[in-house]
Amino acid sequence: MPEQIVTADRMQGIKDKRGKFDFRTIFPFLGLLFVLILFGIMTKGSLFSKLNLKAVLNDGIYVMIGTVGFLFLFAQGALDFSVGANMATSCAVAAIAANSIGPGAALPAALLTGTAIGIINGLVYTKLRISAFITTLSGMFILQGLVLVILDGSVLAAPISMLKWFTNPLKLTILMAVLIIGYIMFQYTPYGKICKSIGSCPEAVRQTGINLDFYRAIPFVTMGLLVGMLAFLSLIRTGSATNNTGGTLMFNVLNAALLGGLPMSGGPTTKFRGAIVGSLTIAFLVSGMTIMGIETTDQQIVKGIVFLIAIGISFDRKNMKIIK
Amino acid sequence: MDKEEILLKVEHMSKRFGITKALDDVSLELQKGQILGLIGENGSGKSTLTSIIAAIQSADVGEMYLEGKPYKPASSADANDQGICMILQEKGTFDMLTVANNIFIGKEELFIHYGFLNKKEMIAEAQKALNKIQAIHIDAAAALGSLNFEDRKLVEVARAMQSQPKILIVDETTTALSRNGREVLYGIMESMKNEGKSIIFISHDLDEIMEVCDTLMVLRDGVYIDTIEEGDFSPAVIRKLMVGREISDNYYRTDTKSCKSKEVVFSMEHISCKEVKDVSFELHKGEILGFGGLGDCGMHILGNVAFGLTEPDIGKVKAGTGDVITSPKAAMKHRIAYISKNRDQETLMLSSSIKDNICIASYPKIQKGPFILCSDETTFVEEWSKDLKIKMQNANQYVMELSGGNKQKVALAKWLGYGAEIFIFDCPTRGIDIGVKSNIYQLMFQLKEEGKSIIMISEELTEIIGMSDRVIILKEGKISGEFNREEQLSETRLIDYMV
Repeated sequence: MPEQIVTADRMQGIKDKRGKFDFRTIFPFLGLLFVLILFGIMTKGSLFSKLNLKAVLNDGIYVMIGTVGFLFLFAQGALDFSVGANMATSCAVAAIAANSIGPGAALPAALLTGTAIGIINGLVYTKLRISAFITTLSGMFILQGLVLVILDGSVLAAPISMLKWFTNPLKLTILMAVLIIGYIMFQYTPYGKICKSIGSCPEAVRQTGINLDFYRAIPFVTMGLLVGMLAFLSLIRTGSATNNTGGTLMFNVLNAALLGGLPMSGGPTTKFRGAIVGSLTIAFLVSGMTIMGIETTDQQIVKGIVFLIAIGISFDRKNMKIIK
Repeated sequence: MDKEEILLKVEHMSKRFGITKALDDVSLELQKGQILGLIGENGSGKSTLTSIIAAIQSADVGEMYLEGKPYKPASSADANDQGICMILQEKGTFDMLTVANNIFIGKEELFIHYGFLNKKEMIAEAQKALNKIQAIHIDAAAALGSLNFEDRKLVEVARAMQSQPKILIVDETTTALSRNGREVLYGIMESMKNEGKSIIFISHDLDEIMEVCDTLMVLRDGVYIDTIEEGDFSPAVIRKLMVGREISDNYYRTDTKSCKSKEVVFSMEHISCKEVKDVSFELHKGEILGFGGLGDCGMHILGNVAFGLTEPDIGKVKAGTGDVITSPKAAMKHRIAYISKNRDQETLMLSSSIKDNICIASYPKIQKGPFILCSDETTFVEEWSKDLKIKMQNANQYVMELSGGNKQKVALAKWLGYGAEIFIFDCPTRGIDIGVKSNIYQLMFQLKEEGKSIIMISEELTEIIGMSDRVIILKEGKISGEFNREEQLSETRLIDYMV
């Protein structure tokens, strides 16, 4: 009998928890709504004009694709700080390939470079057993240096003809393809499920006979591939590669993930919709600020503050005894 | 001894951890100059009782009196100031600090002059404390991490003795010490006794405890059983008091025959790994093979090795086909399943759903092409959780919300769904209350009846005897005895082979 009572109590507790309105689950949507309304009013509705929506897409495509790639890392509780520097490197290599071999070589060069860097990240992380934080942070510094060497500290222009490639159908096709494939992989394949399981308890995954190292390394590779794609898009949009390419990617993606309510510790509560909502919020925030004529430097201040607010709201800090 | 003078009195002490009663109305009297031995099986409440006295934990109910005055220590430092020191079973030192820092931890103000810590003075004092316990070979300025395990324990002894305690609590310290180290500790205890101070001594080593102690107090499942005076010590009496509990009918399997087929489905050949030394055995189809021994006898490592989680230094793990098993993946290919002793940390993903936990081993089975559909997962979970009667709201409920017994059933459902034929259960009923325990036993018997084989590793002798077709006892990493199921198999007989 006592056991039944205990169970009944527990059940009641769970029901209470379920019934209670959990602010954190709707916070991402409120955030997006807030940004839309705020900039909608401040720009007197011009945020939603065709021209501006196009600008949102131009900025947003990086954040959205980047966040989808990041999602698989996030689900495991890992981070990749090298995405921005990877993008700059891949873009520089693509520009060189386009100039020396021909415009057609730019895309393969960008994808290969991005993927190669992803593979190195994954191998260092799993084989040398260095934490993802340290691995990718060092990767970031190394790549930033490498870009300066490759570009000799200046700007490398791509053949002008390539600028014509940056069309809406292309952008939308790539974006939709990444979103759909990403969604299916994340929700409906063993890969996505195992990523979330690793975030929940890696040892249990290992004790289920799953090759932990493989599943820990692969997200870095897919992230690298997507970054290569972004590098190509950046090259055909701006027509050049500089060491500033992808400079805001890392922070925007991290910000999007947090605004989307993704838990930094990973696990099954990592939701795909969070990545979408979060990256849309960032895309509109950035475009909104640009439309209002706020300088990029000032935008950084705003994004930093938004980041803090996102962390403040999305983390359950009641159970945290010590700040690490 | 002079006229008995009571140094410490504990009255009606109770302590609960969740639904488990760790201590149930235990009283104790410690006289001046007495060495009191506490004995009992794992989980009998010895460490709980002493850690309450040393104020490492607090009691739910109960009073304590030190030299006749109420004793209510606020913290372990407070208990220390009042003259009660404890040497812990687990490691109680800080690797990154020096030996001297460890000895005077929390007492640094003794050496602070004008706001600065006089390290030289501290090291000199620490060396004196070490010399006093004849640990001259330990350098007080060395980093603690550079010492071996025995010397670290001696540092703990020095730390305890340096505060000149009235009561010293020694919890399973001697297992870490060599003969020499033990002699040192016995010497300290003897001289404390002569000074009219008292000791509470916990050890699993019966010979040692009979040699060292004046009085023994027996605990079982958190309940006080009996006190024995020095004249009445005998291994037989002590063992009977320690484990003598009635086994109710129908709790375990009721047949008394050891039955199994001749077919060998799994074997280990001359395995050596960490504590384990040269262990070989064969597991037959339809057999429950129980492994027993003390907690550190190596049986838990054996479970790890059997599933390919730990690579053995020497020897081979083989499936019935003769294939060598080197990884969990290879083990699973031969339909071997493993449920860890640390179920919540190693076997289950607590923050994931029941569905994720049950399906994860069987994705290749569930998926259609490259995809896994939600509905297929739910069907799979329903199919395998139905017979186990897991109490859950639905398959999406988080595993952390379940009770211990239901968690164990989720782990079981995962492997049943996978189609396992050989189960390695390490402490299958750990943290599970009695009602659900019998449920787990029934399931194990059912598996056996279906022709599946089980390796059951447990620290509870009663369940090993109650469930196994064959029992192997390990002692210090080696097989010390092997017994077939029979009516006369008793715990006392097995304990002889354990210690």
